[in-house]
Amino acid sequence: MKNVENRNRKFLGSFIDISSLGVIGILLVLITLLAIFVPGHNFIRPDNIKNLLSYGAEFAIIVLGAGLLMIAGEFDLSVGSVLAFCSFVFVKLFSLGINPFLVAIITLICGAVIGMINGLITTKGRILSFVATLGTMMFWRGITVMASGGAMMPSDTSEFKFFTSVFIGEIGKIFQSQVLWLILFAVILGFILHRHKFGNWVFSTGDNERAARSMAINTDRVKIICFVIVGLLVAFAAIIQTVRLAAFSSRSGTGLELEVVAAAVVGGTSLRGGKGNMLGIFIGAFIIVIIKNAFVLARLPYEWTYIAFALMIMFSVLLDLLIENSRKKVV
Amino acid sequence: MSSNESNPNTKELLKMTGIHKYFGKVHSLINVDFKIDEGENVGLVGDNGAGKSTLIKVISGYHRAEKGKIYFKGKEVKISSPKDSRALGIETVYQDQALAPDLSISRNIFMGREPVVALGFLKKKVMDEESMDALKNMGLYLKSPNITISTLSGGERQGVAIARALHFKAKLVILDEPTASLSVKEVREVLEFVNQLKRKGIAVIFITHNLHHIFSIADRIVVLSHGEKLADIKKKDTNVDDLSELIIRGTIG
Repeated sequence: MKNVENRNRKFLGSFIDISSLGVIGILLVLITLLAIFVPGHNFIRPDNIKNLLSYGAEFAIIVLGAGLLMIAGEFDLSVGSVLAFCSFVFVKLFSLGINPFLVAIITLICGAVIGMINGLITTKGRILSFVATLGTMMFWRGITVMASGGAMMPSDTSEFKFFTSVFIGEIGKIFQSQVLWLILFAVILGFILHRHKFGNWVFSTGDNERAARSMAINTDRVKIICFVIVGLLVAFAAIIQTVRLAAFSSRSGTGLELEVVAAAVVGGTSLRGGKGNMLGIFIGAFIIVIIKNAFVLARLPYEWTYIAFALMIMFSVLLDLLIENSRKKVV
Repeated sequence: MSSNESNPNTKELLKMTGIHKYFGKVHSLINVDFKIDEGENVGLVGDNGAGKSTLIKVISGYHRAEKGKIYFKGKEVKISSPKDSRALGIETVYQDQALAPDLSISRNIFMGREPVVALGFLKKKVMDEESMDALKNMGLYLKSPNITISTLSGGERQGVAIARALHFKAKLVILDEPTASLSVKEVREVLEFVNQLKRKGIAVIFITHNLHHIFSIADRIVVLSHGEKLADIKKKDTNVDDLSELIIRGTIG
């Protein structure tokens, strides 16, 4: 009897984890195929991998936050605009000759406050976050274009060697410090989501908000904190991106909002909230980044990436449904 | 029709007097008196819109009554949030709002009250073990504390929600339509859970549309109609037919 129980548990356990395993599998297959089939083995050349990791880290840092927020049952469509706005704040303050670390801290505070505004509009204003952040998406883009005059602005931080190496310092030939930041954030958020009581509140809020509230969980506060985490991570990504590109563009981050959602969904996050895991979100981000990279390497028109994302999202939602159904049958 | 005579062997747990509740212009509770003794099992019945849900939401801290007093164990109390009612030992099990379907049993049982080590990290093992104990205590033998609620039957879900209330030392458990949309077999399971609570000396307010369900377990039945208390009657002094006629007629006369 005990044996049967144990086997059942193991069987179920493997089923529950299968969505994560599936995503890892997809990533590995993707990497293998690209390594073999991209002409001239360009995909696995060190400079391509370095490029992919540095862009990928920026993107994935945002996806970690957006995924957490989606598990709590909300969306943030303003990430792209906030990225541009935070970049502008960073470049502007830096050009005034303020110490870059102070500039970075102010930029992070900016991101956090913007996240909090999104959270307050959504929870206290009782507006769907999809709509609320669609509004703030346009608002912050508008402010950014207005304030910058729509022009590119150079911003070279390389004279501050220590500062620059904290954010984009090279570690060996391929790795850069932003990858370490990404891993650090992923581990911290993973622990918070899966091992901390706040994570349990996030899952409960996204899964059944009324149940969470009747168990005296302050679901509004949970959501606001998640929005603030997104804002902080977007601001951090903005800093790394600005330091890496040594320039600001008011168009940076356009279209980012849907890529971020796509990455989280591919990583096994439910669009309805309450389901997802940090490892999956992390891998999902890199799947999206690698697909984008592959399109560039294959010299396919950029528009095709949208079609690829669309197919990926639909495929992963279907996969999610299939797993869900088979799990119900098992029990 | 009210049963004012109090039994000297039982102690009064909760008493509400002169409760009024308005929603805008709608007067949803009109001068309602309600009481329940320790270990007593009260059925709360009435047609849709009679004020049953409003009354229990006042007890569980979701709504605040505009007028009226609430006493718990003889002392006057203010219940202004679900947290307040929980602190008194009142646990409410809502029909569809009790559990998060995609979360595990143990995460549900400890939802909002997670046992933690320093810095707020979960004591996963304690959660799992205590969940299984809480379920066994209700006579519910499930495979693992890590299976998700969505894989359980309707009766088992009610069992988990009731086990949670019991685990947190509830003195009064309010069950909001616990037998709605359940199969006959599941209804029997749920009624057995309620009997378990009674055997452990826990007071229960049981809300339902189905008088037959309530008759098998309640000590006393309170009938609400259009926001007013229509009847407060011991089970032994009435029967299903009389009561259902009362509910349909909506007045005593």
